[in-house]
Amino acid sequence: MTMVQPQVQNVVQELAARISHDDVLRCIRCGLCAYTCPTYRVEECESMAPRGRLALVRAVIEGKLELSPRFAEKFYDCVLCAACTSACPSGTKADAMLLEARHVLFDAGLVPEPVRGLLERLETRHNISGEENAGRLVWCSNMEHAPTGLGRSQAETVYFVGCVGSLFPMSFSIPQAFSQTLDLAGVEYALLGGEEWCCGYPAFISGDVELAREMAAHNLEAVRQAGARQVVVTCPSCYHVFTHVYPELLGEEALAGLKVLHATELLADLLESGALRPAAVPIRVTYHDPCDLGRKSKVFQPPRRVLQAIPGLELVEMASTGANSLCCGGGGNVESSAPALVESMAGRRLAEALDTGAELIVTACQQCKRTLSSAARKRRLRLRTVDVVELVWQALEQTHSGGSR
Amino acid sequence: MEISREFVQELEEIVGPTYVHTDPVDLQCYAFDATFEEWRPDVVVRPATTEEVARVLRLCHEARVPVIPRGMGSGLAGGTVPFPNGGLVLSLTRMNRILEIDEVNMTVTAEAGVITADLQAEVERRGLFYPPDPSSIKHSTIGGNIACNAGGPRCLKYGVTKDYVMGVKAVLADGRVFSAGGKPIKYVTGYDLPALLTGSEGTLAVVTEALLRLTVKPTVVRTATVVFHDLDLASQAINKVLWAGFVPATLELMDDTTIHTVEEYLHIGLPLDAAALLIVESDGRDEKVVDDEMRGMVEIFRAAGASEVRVAKDEKEREALWKGRRSVSPSLARRRPHKLGEDISLPRSAIPEAIRRIKGVAAKYGLPIAIFGHAGDGNLHPNILFDRRNAEEWARVQQAMAEIFAIALELGGTLTGEHGVGIMKRPFVPQALDPVAVEAMWRIKRALDPHNILNPGKIFPTDMKV
Repeated sequence: MTMVQPQVQNVVQELAARISHDDVLRCIRCGLCAYTCPTYRVEECESMAPRGRLALVRAVIEGKLELSPRFAEKFYDCVLCAACTSACPSGTKADAMLLEARHVLFDAGLVPEPVRGLLERLETRHNISGEENAGRLVWCSNMEHAPTGLGRSQAETVYFVGCVGSLFPMSFSIPQAFSQTLDLAGVEYALLGGEEWCCGYPAFISGDVELAREMAAHNLEAVRQAGARQVVVTCPSCYHVFTHVYPELLGEEALAGLKVLHATELLADLLESGALRPAAVPIRVTYHDPCDLGRKSKVFQPPRRVLQAIPGLELVEMASTGANSLCCGGGGNVESSAPALVESMAGRRLAEALDTGAELIVTACQQCKRTLSSAARKRRLRLRTVDVVELVWQALEQTHSGGSR
Repeated sequence: MEISREFVQELEEIVGPTYVHTDPVDLQCYAFDATFEEWRPDVVVRPATTEEVARVLRLCHEARVPVIPRGMGSGLAGGTVPFPNGGLVLSLTRMNRILEIDEVNMTVTAEAGVITADLQAEVERRGLFYPPDPSSIKHSTIGGNIACNAGGPRCLKYGVTKDYVMGVKAVLADGRVFSAGGKPIKYVTGYDLPALLTGSEGTLAVVTEALLRLTVKPTVVRTATVVFHDLDLASQAINKVLWAGFVPATLELMDDTTIHTVEEYLHIGLPLDAAALLIVESDGRDEKVVDDEMRGMVEIFRAAGASEVRVAKDEKEREALWKGRRSVSPSLARRRPHKLGEDISLPRSAIPEAIRRIKGVAAKYGLPIAIFGHAGDGNLHPNILFDRRNAEEWARVQQAMAEIFAIALELGGTLTGEHGVGIMKRPFVPQALDPVAVEAMWRIKRALDPHNILNPGKIFPTDMKV
């Protein structure tokens, strides 16, 4: 006990140093955030609401509560979707504080076991799956035409695939579709293969800032080595971390001369300029905004512009959309510690999608796709989720297999 | 207070271990509401059915454990904090099913934990309408709204929660379940128990289900903002509008301090030299009727000395006009770390005098006090802005608060119009109510809850003893 006490005291001081009392007091405890919080709406429990979580931070800072594994759990079961911050009437930056708390908890060694496993994989393998990082291009292996980026080590553009697209077979179709689309549009790009490491976001949100910084530095170096001036990503978390976290970790200048685009930003331009001509896809779809792309990076329109460029496609919005979009449940690394919670959150989003009468959910994120698809299967719903790049490629394939190429 | 391990085990048997919380982390999350009051409970229980509530209450009745019923904890009077001796917080948020929507009789039956906004959305899908609209509609529950008899901007035209409660299912302190009221609109067989429970702040019984009256959803709404440079002119104009037979769906007022605070935050061109800014709405189902009503009201406001009237031409303009009012809360929060939002209710005629006197209080104690509220029904929200960490400032706030209550009472008003007494206003109850009336209330309380386990320490003056 005598050994532990001073350390706990340090953590409390650390928490108080990184989250100011004034910032926590900005929360007027009205409870509005609970209404928008996906974890609260599933559990209906105050400790699963942003207001409750902030009250815990405040109680620790004010010396009314001791740190404990249960305390840590309350921060690692938040999906970090930032809906609370978006809804807050008093301008409380709840999401930033909840993330900061994870950083402090990591430093204090209070990381939940499943998250620790993830961090170990990231540290030793440089990816979230734990497989050999050299196998990051396995998704190319069974393609009829190998993507041109495969053999290219130098290019203006790097396609940064991300861990899930690279290593999770269920998501291979996303890089496959996008690389073929780039080839069709004549965009020259390089793939980094084993030199691509995890973007660093899972480490960053698990609390390991140093590991995230190391990954950020490595990835930017790899991109520079390829002589690239542009990075295009299909993963919204990679996008968010490149555009919003890398500057914080490495300084603004680390990204000087480098443009970072989400695939939908590039595709919207290529489709609108006529460089890509999709065939008609006469279905009604609804678009699910990934939190990291939409609310947290403010990319709302490009994916919708892409969908509107597909002839015959009808886009209908869900009840919560854009900045008010509801998280699929797949954020914040919650999946590793609380899969049932994630499943219930996905269920609420699926209910909103069903309400629109759409035949298909389109998103722009492999994780949202995975989360929503698996929840739909469990519920025996005949409502598929696809990534927008897959839908675009499907429409392009039709045009080009029709002989117009 | 001490809660035994056996007691907790019995609770776990009733609702399941997942829904009984004793870890300090979980208890801390139920120590507060939307005030800065903080009292940690000893145990939190989250039942899913009326039967579970009944069994929990029976246990607490026998063990004499205080029970604090709680919805989403957005109360503004400390009504759901476990003051002063802890006890059991009974969270009803899992009881969130809408049980029946009767389209013919226009009623909805819902469990206590249904979020008010969710209930509204569900009935509106069918063209029906549940009018009570406390600003906490998204973060308060039907049970909480009934416990506090919640109001809202629409209540001048549509009434408050009590006007919609036709029946309840509730659990007495000793765990017995009863139903009262029903679908007949006229219902005078016996005492009106649903009315008694409405506004009782969880002190008489735990409401677990409510039968609520609905109306038909208005489909047309028109919005205007009206600026006055003189409070008396504004007040007279409001009376003229009402005397002309118009019943605005909304008649909101912001005073100059509120206008300045919002403008500093938003820079949307609010009139900084105005004494009052009104937001007026007319609603209905016939476009011509609604337009005529709005035109009629605008004419009266202009003739009565309004310096500026703006009517929204479309939804976008309507949103713009509302922006200022909706931003009151965030702009106040940016000015000082704490605010005390009071809720005095006055005869309509006393509004200008009350605002003037409260401004005197603000000057006397050197505290910013923003006043806004519902001008049509006389319910004002003077918000004192301060930093509670400064003990001297907090002492001034308490004095200012006492003076504001005194002003309300002197002008024929009362302490609270829609937030309830909770713990924060109970020291002022003896001044606000007839002592014989307080005695009668206390006898009712004792008859229904002989051991004073239901939300003790609320409403009644501190010297009331079982």
